Amino acid sequence: MVSYLGGSPSDIYSFAVYYFFWIALAIFIGGSVYRVTKLALFWRRVVKAERRRRGAGAVTIGLIRTFLDPIIFSAKKKPHDFLAGLVALHILGVLPLIFLLAHHVAYFAYWFHPYWLVAKWGLWIPLSVTTSTLEITAPIYPASTHFTNTIWGPLVVILNGDVLAILAMLGVAFKIGMKIIEQAQGLQHVRWSDYFSLCLLMFILLTGYAAARHHAPLVGETADVVTYRTLLGLHILGAEILLALIPFSKFWHFVFGYWYGKLHEWYDLRVQKGLV
Amino acid sequence: MSAQLPPQVKRVIDEALRKVDWQGFDKEKVNAIINELLGKLDSVQVHFIEDCVGCAACAPACPYYPVSEEYGPVEKAEHVRHMYRKEATILGKLLGPLLNAKKPSKPEHLDKLVELVYRCTNCGACYVSCPFGIDSGALIRGFLAPLVSKAGRLPAVLAIFEAMERTGVYMDIPAFQQIWRDVNAKIDQALGKPVPRDRKGAEYLLFLDLSDAMFYPGAVVGAAKILDRAGLDWTLPSSPLGFRPPIGAVVGFSDSTKQVLKQIDDYVESIGAKYLVVLDGGFVYPWLRWQMPKVLGKKLSYRVLHITELVVELLKQGRIKLKPTNDAVTWHDPCQLARRSGVTKEPVEALRAASKGFRLLPHHGAESYCCGGGGGIGCLSLHMIEMMAKMIGVDMSVMISSEKEKEFLVKTQEAWSIAVKRKIDDIKKSKAKIVVTACPVCMHSIEGGAKLYGLDIEVKHFAEYIAERLA
Repeated sequence: MVSYLGGSPSDIYSFAVYYFFWIALAIFIGGSVYRVTKLALFWRRVVKAERRRRGAGAVTIGLIRTFLDPIIFSAKKKPHDFLAGLVALHILGVLPLIFLLAHHVAYFAYWFHPYWLVAKWGLWIPLSVTTSTLEITAPIYPASTHFTNTIWGPLVVILNGDVLAILAMLGVAFKIGMKIIEQAQGLQHVRWSDYFSLCLLMFILLTGYAAARHHAPLVGETADVVTYRTLLGLHILGAEILLALIPFSKFWHFVFGYWYGKLHEWYDLRVQKGLV
Repeated sequence: MSAQLPPQVKRVIDEALRKVDWQGFDKEKVNAIINELLGKLDSVQVHFIEDCVGCAACAPACPYYPVSEEYGPVEKAEHVRHMYRKEATILGKLLGPLLNAKKPSKPEHLDKLVELVYRCTNCGACYVSCPFGIDSGALIRGFLAPLVSKAGRLPAVLAIFEAMERTGVYMDIPAFQQIWRDVNAKIDQALGKPVPRDRKGAEYLLFLDLSDAMFYPGAVVGAAKILDRAGLDWTLPSSPLGFRPPIGAVVGFSDSTKQVLKQIDDYVESIGAKYLVVLDGGFVYPWLRWQMPKVLGKKLSYRVLHITELVVELLKQGRIKLKPTNDAVTWHDPCQLARRSGVTKEPVEALRAASKGFRLLPHHGAESYCCGGGGGIGCLSLHMIEMMAKMIGVDMSVMISSEKEKEFLVKTQEAWSIAVKRKIDDIKKSKAKIVVTACPVCMHSIEGGAKLYGLDIEVKHFAEYIAERLA
């Protein structure tokens, strides 16, 4: 059993990669089914008023505006939050890191083969501006030759793991700082779970950053194999804990809350009521 | 209370005031109300509660945010989440305060909640600015308002008018009868003929309530002129169809709301009209246009049109024509008509036809700034309460139940005076001299705000302004 799964569960890396992954995935799927089912059970049939007809063009523009308006509003009214929270943390930070960082592409492609297309099309992001290969951390199959050229060209100066991880960490640090200030002001919407979620994200970013650079953060030296495997194991374990927590935390917005919320708003205001 | 007051009015006022309690705290009652409200949640409200990430991106959108950060939409709605977590989640029950899962447990908590309710106009600005499509206003006005009202933290003036509207006794008050008679006389005089009231089979029915007659009689007359000039087959009610229905919705009394809406629906059906034309672009319009089918559980046999929608249609059909002027005029979008109901294009189209000097406000349509007076807040000024007390014929002590309530009213008025400033600044930037709108509260709020911040403008209802320019 142990050899089949690829290592001992007492080794944190093996535990994370070969054991806890399945547990996290099961919790994620179970939790997601629970959340969506719960929402469906709260659904009530109501008699709706006759909708206001505005034409397909207005409804389409309404769809774009539904997603775009809050971003523009945030940029105008809360520029610091916009830059740190949305640009650094989300748009430049975790989103490209999760889905496009070369290591992640290889990892996802290992479990889900069609994801290999991201590598094949050169959409991947290298680890650093000076390192455009996948290095020795690449898992198995297919060959890493696909990774030698990205389509990003000179944009790699920004679009690389090092820079994006630092931006994401700055974004998380800003959000934690803001939460502390808001809580000190007695604001009600700060929740303890906010700190947990943000600290977990910071933990994943820090361990990932350290592991990718083969670096032992506490001793400031190049990590040996055991330290490296531990750091990478902690990084993967952290990400899996996050995966498991998605349905039960604010991370739910990433897979469902955001999409459902905006599409509902679009239907309610733009399709039904004809707001233009 | 005045000895002159008709006994049925006195009885209704007494009944209303029995619901008002600004001191006490009945824990069992509060818990029962919370459970009742949680039991009525639907999937969309559950999304509003569960999917907020606490980013507070909505905060600057709220007219009351400049008053205090604690009045940001997410802050106010978070109190609903506290109760939801405590009562409807396992972790909330187990871990309680650690997860911010809690319920009101003492009088001060209710005092805070009622303050928060009347720092929300339900303008919907938080809804369109939220990255997740969360309508905090819907939670504040749909959950917190009924909670505090049913628990007794209910402004006496709103309690009285809710009860008077539900029972219909407001029309037993001589001053209100006079207002209604006056506006009806003006209609007949303006048209030079008596308009048949309650005429069965008329295609268009002009919806009129007492607030229409009281706050913008010129608009009522104007609307009659427009309908008449267009040669429509129309009528109007012989009695007002409410004080400003459904007032029950403002304070969160769903039974009262349903009862009042049913009375209106029954009346419109008895006439057999195809179109119900509404002047009030405040909460009256969305309740008739969007909520009534939901509340009554039936499709309406008629279409609800705001006067702005009808005017644009009549202009397109060439049934009315306007003599355009060069007025420096602008349009203020009442939040309930615009963001909450989607009527943004029509008034602008009509006003462009009415004046070459028309200009948009810097923030208009979906991004329009709220005047800060909605959600019952506009009725809570001491001046307004005094005026109503005089008309009803009661002492101010009847309309304000206690010193504590008075403090709340004074604080609310102070908060409004800050909230309205953003709107006034927006109007200043437009350099408009006439602000046209379609909601009595917006009119009152903008007029008050303009006086407060030294802006010399005239505020007019859309129907009155358009009628003055009929060719």
